[in-house]
Amino acid sequence: MRDVVIAVLLLGAVAVELACALALLVVKDSFDRLHFLGPAATLGPVLVVTALVVENALSTNGVKAILAGGLLLLTGPILTHATARAARVRQFGHWEPLPFEEVDQD
Amino acid sequence: MNVWLIATTVLLLSLVPCGLVCFGADSSPIDRLISFELASGINTILFLLLAQGFGRDVYFDLALALALLSLAGGLVFSHFMERWV
Repeated sequence: MRDVVIAVLLLGAVAVELACALALLVVKDSFDRLHFLGPAATLGPVLVVTALVVENALSTNGVKAILAGGLLLLTGPILTHATARAARVRQFGHWEPLPFEEVDQD
Repeated sequence: MNVWLIATTVLLLSLVPCGLVCFGADSSPIDRLISFELASGINTILFLLLAQGFGRDVYFDLALALALLSLAGGLVFSHFMERWV
């Protein structure tokens, strides 16, 4: 039973990563491409780390896997934001919203 | 070959699209950075799978180090991409 659970988790993780990588190739706009960093940095690592914890429990290896997966989970959105900011600054010369992007605060 | 190494082998294929975008002639520098960041995450997962597949505990440390360094590398690249590169 445990082997089946591990195989399913790994299958899911590999499918997510492959789908994100292929989507990166298919989509042409940089800002659209950024969307596919999200699942690759969150869903994939979570599934792999869950499979590793199922196999190793909370041994040294299990804890190291949790740390590595947690780091990916934590730093993925930060990197995505920083990259989006860089792309926008390159495109418009600044980070602030354009006049037609102002949100009505009322 | 166990299930971990099979997953590793299949997951290696996902580095191909990253390479195509990274080295593609029509890719912008931001596109190359995005593919680099995706490849870093995939490589971290690959190290975890390889460590388990080969039963080598030391590879878990590599995955941990790569997860840390990919943040630093990505932030440095994105910082310089804003204006200077």
